[in-house]
Amino acid sequence: MHVVASAFSAETNLLTPLISGIANGSAYGLLGLGLVLLYKSNRIFNFAQGEFATIAAIVAYVFDRGTGWVPKVPYFLALLLGVLAAVGTAMLTERLVIRPLFNRARVVLVVATIGVALFLIGIEGMLPYPQTASLRTISDVLNVRSYVTRVDHVAILDQDLAKFLALAVLAIAAFVFFRYTATGTAILAVSQDATAARVVGISVERISLTTWAIAGLLGGVAGVLLAVPPSGSVTPGSITGLTLTVAFSAAVLGGMTSLPGAFVGGILIGLIEAFANADESFVPGLSSLPTAQAEVAVAVVLLVILLVRPRGLLGQEA
Amino acid sequence: MATTELLSPYDAGASQRRASITGWLTRGGAALPIVALVLLLPKHSGDWTNDAIFAAIYAMVGLSMNVLVGYTGQISLGQQAFLGIGALTAANVVHSGTNTPDPFTFALGMVCAVAVSAGAAAVLGGIALRIRGLYLALVTLVFGAVTADAVFTIPSLNGNDAGVSAYRPSAIQTDFSYYVFALVMVGLCVYVDVWIRRTKVGRGLIALRDNELVAGAFGINVLGYKLLGFVLSGAMAGLAGGVFAFWSQEFSDKDFTAAAGFNKALIFVVMVVVGGLGNRAGVIAAAAFFALLDPIFSGIASGTGWLNFYTDHKAYISNIIGAVLLLQTVIFNPGGLGQVIRPFTRWFAGHPFSLHDEHGDAAAAALGGGSDVRA
Repeated sequence: MHVVASAFSAETNLLTPLISGIANGSAYGLLGLGLVLLYKSNRIFNFAQGEFATIAAIVAYVFDRGTGWVPKVPYFLALLLGVLAAVGTAMLTERLVIRPLFNRARVVLVVATIGVALFLIGIEGMLPYPQTASLRTISDVLNVRSYVTRVDHVAILDQDLAKFLALAVLAIAAFVFFRYTATGTAILAVSQDATAARVVGISVERISLTTWAIAGLLGGVAGVLLAVPPSGSVTPGSITGLTLTVAFSAAVLGGMTSLPGAFVGGILIGLIEAFANADESFVPGLSSLPTAQAEVAVAVVLLVILLVRPRGLLGQEA
Repeated sequence: MATTELLSPYDAGASQRRASITGWLTRGGAALPIVALVLLLPKHSGDWTNDAIFAAIYAMVGLSMNVLVGYTGQISLGQQAFLGIGALTAANVVHSGTNTPDPFTFALGMVCAVAVSAGAAAVLGGIALRIRGLYLALVTLVFGAVTADAVFTIPSLNGNDAGVSAYRPSAIQTDFSYYVFALVMVGLCVYVDVWIRRTKVGRGLIALRDNELVAGAFGINVLGYKLLGFVLSGAMAGLAGGVFAFWSQEFSDKDFTAAAGFNKALIFVVMVVVGGLGNRAGVIAAAAFFALLDPIFSGIASGTGWLNFYTDHKAYISNIIGAVLLLQTVIFNPGGLGQVIRPFTRWFAGHPFSLHDEHGDAAAAALGGGSDVRA
């Protein structure tokens, strides 16, 4: 039998994965929120969500650095401009791609969002900016130490805390928006029956545009918080490549129709990944690459959820 | 299984009016430039031969996507995994080191490539059948990523990360003879595609795609046909993978992991949609176009003095071209390239030339939304 060489250690096997799992999970949840929003309202999977995030990160980076004809602006204003760019991109996507396809099969819209993602990656790649750079972290800008506190030797980073708080606040805000505001209710009404919604006086077009603007906002916030060192960057397509699949898994786990579900699913998937990485013999016989172990773990969770409980942990319907 | 004499609804026009001898001669003459382009250009130019083999491989992948997306209506974002499984199997079965393999081993490698890919597709299909609607897209996406990162990276299968060499047998050693071999393999895939469309299998699949409930009510074996669609598609992609391995003369996991794999997955979706779902001529043409995008554009760029710019940005340029073609197809032209060239393909098949074609909406229906897939 296979014998695990390294002894169990509370720090490497419990504490480190717990903290890094919650940190990464916040990232998945942030991206997952936008996915859930568009699934809830349009019944589609938006493969361009990761690129809304990347665009925000690129615009924020360029304004923060102030190159060429772009003025250098204060860091937090740069982040805001980045988020606005993502909102603009999302609204353009709705107007130019989604609206012409409004009455077509859902699978066509999904294919179209794949096209949008490819297009945005291409455009980003053509822009002249240092493509392997990354945004400054919040603690860099504020000139404070990079971690909030340490538990044993494991630091809880400022940036990770910011991700987690942003995720929590946005998840609750989005939940309240859908539950208690007229616009939120109207979005759900359009999602259930566009014609009936039109009959009672809801402007389906405006609702659709609003929905995509909010999705852009959520993606943008995710982008400006994720594209920081050590793992994040403003490279074209990087957020789609690194995070999107996992974010989808998180959204499915939480329930594609539940915004708090994106929060729960994101954190859970982050933890599953981190603990799968921490144990060297997680999948005996398979490739020993840590990423492979994490991927297999997430894939198994996704399959089990889809087969056993397709509506996810907090979703309301299949 | 005996093939029935019934023609599928899409081929129903076939029996009505066919060309005369002169008509066939004219068509033969008109086809000459195309034949020359496909056969002679690769024969006389080394670089083009290499690119042409690549185009043939993409054509096979396109046909495999066509079976899955075009006929069964399932979207797959993990087709590059089957290509990789085929390549990995072929290279490892032949495993001849630096020696030239004998024809029997080579054939065994190709057969194993097809069989293993078909087996993997059966497993994926078995799971996918139980998953409704758009969620399948996610499952195939994850399948592709996991296969690439967890299976292709196993050191004993990828030559300890250095790649497994896959030399060609002596009979098809040269690029051109290998190209002819690849064309024969494309022909095999086309034959399977024609077989699917002409038999009750294809009609069953298309009925399922259009409305699963109604098809089931008419006695079509829903699970069996869907699984068959998956297996045939996986087998074709596996064959393409085998050809791919002996084209690049090695299996390297780097062709299928991370961004390279994800890009392939997306471009395969793009080419089947741009080609026209369910339309084999369009799909083959679109696949060849995307395979030849790089050589064509680097040619244009070097002719116009943009070569450096092009080389630095080529992945992004092909992204934009693919995306624009994809979006214009789904928004303005759901039948794809196949619909555009259909008057010509029908004419070559012996029908009178006509821009109005009563059966031409078949492909458009696949994308146009007869079936409103709501997950």
